[in-house]
Amino acid sequence: MVQFLRAVLLLSLLLLVADSKTAYAEEPDYSDYGDIDVLGKLGDRYYIEFEPFVKLYLPRILISDGIHFFASTPAAMASGDFQDVYYVENPGDFVPGQSGPVTYKLVRADGTPVMLDLSLSKHVLWFWLAGFLTLFIFGRLARKYQSGIGRETAPKGAGMNFAEVMIIYLRDEVIKINVGEENVRKYGPYLLTCFFMILFMNLFGLAPWGQTPTSDISITATLALATFFIVNFSGTRDYWRHVFAMPGIPKFMLIILTPVEILGLFTKPFALAIRLFANMLSGKMLILSMLGMIFIFAGIYGPTWGIASAMLWVPFTLFIYALKVFAAFLQAYIFTMFSALFIGLALEDHSHHDDHHAADLKPAATHA
Amino acid sequence: MIPVLANPLLNFDPGIVIWIAITFVVFVWALYKLAWGPILQALDKRENNIQESLDAAENALRRAEEISKKNDEALKKAEIEAQRLRKEAKEDAEKIRVDIIEKARTDAEEVRDQTLASIEQEKQKAMLELRSHVAELALEAAEKILNSELDEKKNKKLVDDFINDISSN
Repeated sequence: MVQFLRAVLLLSLLLLVADSKTAYAEEPDYSDYGDIDVLGKLGDRYYIEFEPFVKLYLPRILISDGIHFFASTPAAMASGDFQDVYYVENPGDFVPGQSGPVTYKLVRADGTPVMLDLSLSKHVLWFWLAGFLTLFIFGRLARKYQSGIGRETAPKGAGMNFAEVMIIYLRDEVIKINVGEENVRKYGPYLLTCFFMILFMNLFGLAPWGQTPTSDISITATLALATFFIVNFSGTRDYWRHVFAMPGIPKFMLIILTPVEILGLFTKPFALAIRLFANMLSGKMLILSMLGMIFIFAGIYGPTWGIASAMLWVPFTLFIYALKVFAAFLQAYIFTMFSALFIGLALEDHSHHDDHHAADLKPAATHA
Repeated sequence: MIPVLANPLLNFDPGIVIWIAITFVVFVWALYKLAWGPILQALDKRENNIQESLDAAENALRRAEEISKKNDEALKKAEIEAQRLRKEAKEDAEKIRVDIIEKARTDAEEVRDQTLASIEQEKQKAMLELRSHVAELALEAAEKILNSELDEKKNKKLVDDFINDISSN
């Protein structure tokens, strides 16, 4: 804390000095420090980049009058059939043979959109990596259990103990209390997969060159959709009765209530998707923006200022980074917990609940 | 200069959704088969084992307590029995001792009585013998004396009277 205050003090002092200097000095041009492509880092792209070493283009699979397969985006553009949407809108910028992809969103050369773009993006690849990592870690763990360690004896090793702590916590405190003990075997695998894959995806974004697939709305929406289908396919008669004809409610109220309930079916997974996506995206955006401030300062006031301001931005970034580690666990937990809760609500037998409702509403009705 | 891109962050891409949906289902299925199924089963089994072991231990403890209680009771009973036996034995021994002493005493008394009786008999016999012997001796002596002074008959009566006096004394 003291060090932090000292850094702030030093910075403000430097700023005072700099102001008086820049006001009179001849203004040099620092604009080449100014750019950091935050959106390009956050958005989904059809390449994997290990700056400053390599940039691997991913193959493009485009469905439009048959399946078109290209090894990379430039290859697709070079074929003449497809074009980056940016050059379609700004034909003046396109120099054949030189211009590379800008938005990576391909349309047909005549400007009409493709029917379906089935290309693998970096988020898909990182999603797979999360899946394989989960499979690798817990597959090994399962083999260990099957060999007898942890099955007949106590678990062995820090990794096994740590994994077991998380699995048992999720099983007992998240899955069991929501879906019921008898359904743990049925819904447990899905919820555990959700938790660990989301956790790994969240944590990937904190690694150098890593990407957070969960900061992509397409991916969180797909995960939420999975929960939506599971919830509604496992809904009991009671669940649907509560949606379409809430018992214990005066009939005319159903005109309002039923649409609200039907809306509720969709808002729940929607909220799941948005919550995860927004949390993950905002954290990463904040980190990149904070670090970007160094370059913005350097761009405006010169490199000395960039380095000096780093003393402020780097601790801020570290703070946000630590917060993001926490958020990675928290959001994975929240997604799993709400999924379990929604499944549990769909499975719940409301029979005694109804009596409760009826008892509550009777006196109100007589008063009315 | 890279242009500001048309909002790539809220881009809902059906192609990505299709890929993720297919692969997510595959991952869930694979993880169910290879990871969660065996792990959850193993955990359940271990928990059951632990519960069973605890139950078994509790049962064993209860049984052991019962057995020990039974043993204590048996021990106490045995001790009481032993005490009783010891007491009986002591009593028996005492009785036997007393009997033996009594018998010894009566035997000794009997022996003494018999001895005394035989002594008395011998004494009587000896007395009789002695008496007749003494009478003869006296007679002889008197004869010798009275041969000179008195007739035999008068003397004999005199001596007899004298002896009778002695024996009655």
